[in-house]
Amino acid sequence: MRQKMTIIFMLLLFTASLVTGCFGGSGEANRNEVTKEGEAQSALASNDEQAVVSASGFKEAPMLAELVKTGTLKPVEERLPNKEDIMVEPVFEQIGKFGGEWNFPWNGPDDKWAIGMPTEEAMFRFNQEGSAVEPNVAKGYDVNEDATEYTIYLRKGMKWSDGMPFTADDVVFYWEHMLIPETFGKALYDCYYSVDPVSGEKARADVAKVDDYTVKVTFKHSNVMFLERLAIDNKWFFAPAHYYKTILAEFVGEEQALEKAKEYGFEDLNNFGVWTGYYYWLYPQRPTLRPWVAKNDMNSDRFIMERNPYYFKTDGEGNQLPYLDRIVLTKMQDKSHKLLETLAGKVEITTFDFTDFTVLKENEKKGGYRVIPWTTPSWSSTGVQLNQTTEDPKLRELFQDIRFREALSVAVDRKEISEIITNGLGEPSQAAVPAGLPNQQAGWAQQWTEYDTNRAAQLLDEIGLKWDAAKKFRTFADGSSLTLTIYQEDTTDNEKFIELIRKYYESIGLKTDVKIVDQGSYFDLKYANKIPVSVKSVNVVNVAFRPDELVPLRVITPWFGHYGLHTSSQGKEGVKPEGDIASILEYWDKVKASKTKDEVQQWTDEIIKLHQKNQWVIGYTGPTPVLIVAKNNLKNVPTLVSSDEFRGIGHAHPAQFFLE
Amino acid sequence: MVRYISRRTLLMIPVVFVVSMIVFFIIQLPPGDFISGYAAKMSTSGEIMDEQALAQLREAYGLNRPWYTQYFTWIWGIVTEGDFGYSLSYNRPVADIIGQYMGVTLMVSIVTMLFTYIIAIPIGVLSAVKQYSFFDYLSTGIGFLGMATPNFLFAIILMFLSFKWWGDPMLGLFSPEFADAPWTSAKWIDLLKHMVIPVIVIGTSNTCELIRVMRGQMLDEMTKPHILTARAKGLPEWRILIKYSMRAAINPIISTIGWSLTTIFTGSTITAIVLNLPTQGPVMHKALLSQDMYLAGSWLLLMAVFTLLGTLISDILLAWLDPRIRLERKGA
Amino acid sequence: MVSQTKAIMRRFIRARGKQGPNPDQAVSHWRLMCRELKRHKLARVSLIILAVLYLVALLGRFIAPQGLESYSSEYMNSAPSKVRFIDAEGKFHLQPFVYGLKSERDPETLRKRFVEDASQIYPIKLFARGESYSVFGLFDTDVHLFGVDEPGRLFLFGTDGMGRDLFSRVVLGSQVSLTVPLVGVSISFVLGLLIGGISGYAGGRVDAVIQRFIDIVRSFPTLPLWMALAAAIPPRVGVIEMFFYITIIMAFIEWTGLARVVRSKFIALRSEDYVTAAKIAGVSDMKIIFVHLVPGFISYLVVAATLAIPGMIIGETAMSFLGLGIRSPATSWGVLMQEAQQIENVALYPWKLIPLVFVIVTVLAFNFFGDGLRDAADPYSHENSLKTAGRKGKRKWTRRSKPLSM
Repeated sequence: MRQKMTIIFMLLLFTASLVTGCFGGSGEANRNEVTKEGEAQSALASNDEQAVVSASGFKEAPMLAELVKTGTLKPVEERLPNKEDIMVEPVFEQIGKFGGEWNFPWNGPDDKWAIGMPTEEAMFRFNQEGSAVEPNVAKGYDVNEDATEYTIYLRKGMKWSDGMPFTADDVVFYWEHMLIPETFGKALYDCYYSVDPVSGEKARADVAKVDDYTVKVTFKHSNVMFLERLAIDNKWFFAPAHYYKTILAEFVGEEQALEKAKEYGFEDLNNFGVWTGYYYWLYPQRPTLRPWVAKNDMNSDRFIMERNPYYFKTDGEGNQLPYLDRIVLTKMQDKSHKLLETLAGKVEITTFDFTDFTVLKENEKKGGYRVIPWTTPSWSSTGVQLNQTTEDPKLRELFQDIRFREALSVAVDRKEISEIITNGLGEPSQAAVPAGLPNQQAGWAQQWTEYDTNRAAQLLDEIGLKWDAAKKFRTFADGSSLTLTIYQEDTTDNEKFIELIRKYYESIGLKTDVKIVDQGSYFDLKYANKIPVSVKSVNVVNVAFRPDELVPLRVITPWFGHYGLHTSSQGKEGVKPEGDIASILEYWDKVKASKTKDEVQQWTDEIIKLHQKNQWVIGYTGPTPVLIVAKNNLKNVPTLVSSDEFRGIGHAHPAQFFLE
Repeated sequence: MVRYISRRTLLMIPVVFVVSMIVFFIIQLPPGDFISGYAAKMSTSGEIMDEQALAQLREAYGLNRPWYTQYFTWIWGIVTEGDFGYSLSYNRPVADIIGQYMGVTLMVSIVTMLFTYIIAIPIGVLSAVKQYSFFDYLSTGIGFLGMATPNFLFAIILMFLSFKWWGDPMLGLFSPEFADAPWTSAKWIDLLKHMVIPVIVIGTSNTCELIRVMRGQMLDEMTKPHILTARAKGLPEWRILIKYSMRAAINPIISTIGWSLTTIFTGSTITAIVLNLPTQGPVMHKALLSQDMYLAGSWLLLMAVFTLLGTLISDILLAWLDPRIRLERKGA
Repeated sequence: MVSQTKAIMRRFIRARGKQGPNPDQAVSHWRLMCRELKRHKLARVSLIILAVLYLVALLGRFIAPQGLESYSSEYMNSAPSKVRFIDAEGKFHLQPFVYGLKSERDPETLRKRFVEDASQIYPIKLFARGESYSVFGLFDTDVHLFGVDEPGRLFLFGTDGMGRDLFSRVVLGSQVSLTVPLVGVSISFVLGLLIGGISGYAGGRVDAVIQRFIDIVRSFPTLPLWMALAAAIPPRVGVIEMFFYITIIMAFIEWTGLARVVRSKFIALRSEDYVTAAKIAGVSDMKIIFVHLVPGFISYLVVAATLAIPGMIIGETAMSFLGLGIRSPATSWGVLMQEAQQIENVALYPWKLIPLVFVIVTVLAFNFFGDGLRDAADPYSHENSLKTAGRKGKRKWTRRSKPLSM
């Protein structure tokens, strides 16, 4: 894998240097060639044959053809981007046919990401392996040698779902009027900052329009990971200027904007901004670039998204995508409903947790669907994290003691956990970077995995933990009582697992309590540093893409607790990182300031090695798959990796799904 | 009588007021608030919100004020402008959401109630007439079974059996193909099919009580002297049954209709969640969980009003139908 | 007004301490009731069933072959063991036995399949040795009512998702599920008697205020109350404490119905001639209440309380459905039904619904027993009296005020 990565990386570098070296100024005349380079590279990365677009005769869905006939819609050639700028989406199995609905169970608007991710069109998206990014909404890009200037090329003639042209102005508008003023309540994403390799100071990027179809992003220092991080932090690096000019207070005035907000059901401008700016795909009024666009109120029992007549992709034979006419989102109160509907064969495609594997498999024939397991980039399927900064000083000292973590690791019979909790799907193993991902370390998965209560007892004795009078539970060295309190969110399905580890911990004399709290309280408790032990696992493709779970940058992952707060508050609050944790932060700064991808790889390896050494995140069983359940007549569904970075099922490019 | 009704209605006002206040307080009693729950939900979908964003949201929603300030602003809005406030999770005025779900809720409640009465009264009468017969045991047995099975499990079992036998779990009120279709006979049939499980589940938990009351009343009435007289005069048995005994026996049932309405209206929350019915139950449950307090508060307020109104209606009916109770009340 | 209430309460309490109800009167009434009850066939059967259930709960650890934490990856989701009398060769055994069990995973669906091994026969023994437990905290023993020798396994009701014997869990769960309602009803009984009594006897303003208060509690939606109280329960809660909290929550809702019964009875009896006579004769209020009034309706109260128990049992399961209340590994019928309610379990492992049978049987038994009690307590039940006013009133009172199940 690493080799492959290196090859791809070399190719990328080669392409980039070729582009910048030969065409330097990126003038008008060179652009087409640049595009071809870009597309060739994307095709190369996705290992798919480059589909050929025939010179004439684009095909469209019957429902659109009818509208064209009645004259309410322009013909398909005029709706697609210029011919050479159309994105040809490779299909996974075969060229499909138009029509059909995708029944999509969801929980209502709270579940916005469930529909947001599969319909997303990113500026740059990850390739099928997830190893690099490829242009999507963008036609191509080039980057200068020291990775300080990124030129992004857009597709000529591309249109928003309301038919208005999509140009560089929409990108610059988004940067100037939405990102910078934080219209939708998000601070400017980290990917837009470059780091001074000497002082570690952060400098904001500049975004400027070159011409109607070219945008330039300039950094003060090198930012080699910009495109990858853009593909995670801010996929939608554009917004329809013509639409926002009719609703933003900046353009229409406070009063009129408030009136607009009321029209949408809002009472204040802040939320109005957040929802229309950030969760925009839920609003029928808001033009998008997505394959399907909202048609009615998202709060209805059936929220409908219909094909975007101006969608910019076709298949290899010139059929304008998407193949499916509509997504029908039906509100489901309980997850058992989704399961029942799927068993009854009423859901075209959806995802399930592995816990439903048996019941799904047993009803496969009856429901007429197939279960496709996708792997996850998870370090483990079950495990615990000890908050390294937990409030109680004695407990904190204990948690920071590597011997204690080893004791907890060897005190549990991983086979039993694997069988009972994961149906044997998750191999008994330590929390480690799974095979096939960058930064994988040999032998890590077997670290401290032998079930050995004597070893655990010996370790606890070494630490100096004593026994209480009844010889039932361990106490601290000074005789005060010792309790591990596991906090758990009531929405997660970890109860059985906690029950089991509690048994194991108590059998080596560690008194264990469980507190189940609702999601909101959990969130608050986490921020207040009140959670000593939790049972989350780490889920990350590449620490360089998304450092949040492994590097204490803010309060997110339970293991580093308030170290994160220390970083995010610039040292004003939280707990000052020391030792290996401090090293992790240093290495992360080096990642940020890297000038080449090799450097990035080197420093991320260092971070991961520290994780291996310290095992702050303890795992008991290896990752379990996510189950993609697709109806047998739904075609073009590949087997991929499921992760948030790749947008879950969106990674399979739902626009090319079709019903036979 | 008018004085009695008006006095009772006036007395309801302070009760409603106190209930609403306690309700509002209790909704916010669990730790955290709407924003923390919201942020947590977002973080599970990969979206991370920082402290500043949270503070901004709290400010925007007025959640940083003490609960009593929020309460009085809310109740003042209701009293003065009929404004039930703003739902934080729906981002819409509460009145809109209530409007959206009220229709279906009432329909389900009323259909279930009708079912309960239509089933329970004849069964009660018959099982009294044929006391200790096979029919008596069977019907009261089923009634008891419905009452003794926890509603949520009963619903799940029926749902699963429906899936097992007909391949369709009958979730919601319509099949997808009819949901947006105009009202045709096929759509009506579809709706009726989907109503079967909720009606059975919600209905049977109440029929038992009614059957029992009806049966007891009938047994009492059938041995009364005027019935004996009628029988001695040679009136046909069915006429005696309908004209004399049933009419008298049905009194207590009619007079407690108010109570039944409230139990059916408020008692179906869990069943509605289990069956994915688009009624108020799931909406309120979700609102409670996420501490969307204006929405939850308004629903609970409405429910309290319904309960009180139901009791009032029952008391009035009782007083009206039975002069002895009226006298007793005056005495009390 | 408040001081008045306090005074009455004080008197109430004092009176209870000093002089109980006159035994002669009470006994004769109870004896009458017993005689009537014996005639009620259904009530009699119900009483026997309830007695058995409570006996099982009392001897839980002795009857249950397993404890609460006997997880086993080998025997997850096993169907109930087949208890046999005739072996593979057609030989009849007087002592029932089970075959040895072997489990394997279906490679396709990952479901555990269990194969009986007819070569291994494990007779079911009485007073078998198994997991050790302590008897009422006095001494430890490992004798169980029945069991099979190792490595044989006997799962009368099959196992749950973590390989624990469901029969044991049902038995141990009954300890919670059968006592929560009893304790809950006792609390609401005291509350109802006290508040209803004050309301009915004092009348006037006190009565009006208490009535409004009851209105408030009655119109109070149970769902948010449960949720709020469940959230308010502190983190380190043992089973016993959790149990205590649940009971209080239940009782808080249930007492209003009883209070109404008491109040109406007080009002009805207050104006009876014999009470007036007692008053004129200068008998103290307390004496009137406890000698003349309470014995007159205590039987109705017992009936109303009995009929309130099923609601509480169902209420406990409803709380478990919402994820409130007791949590595994501690168990109750509600906890077991929470597992049963998952579609996966209904579909693949239907034996997990067995606890439901116990809930139904218990609820029915309490209902029928309550009915029997009601008939027995009714002095007119076996004469065709013309006096219907009291009857109608009685029926109204014993109507359950508000079902606990949501």
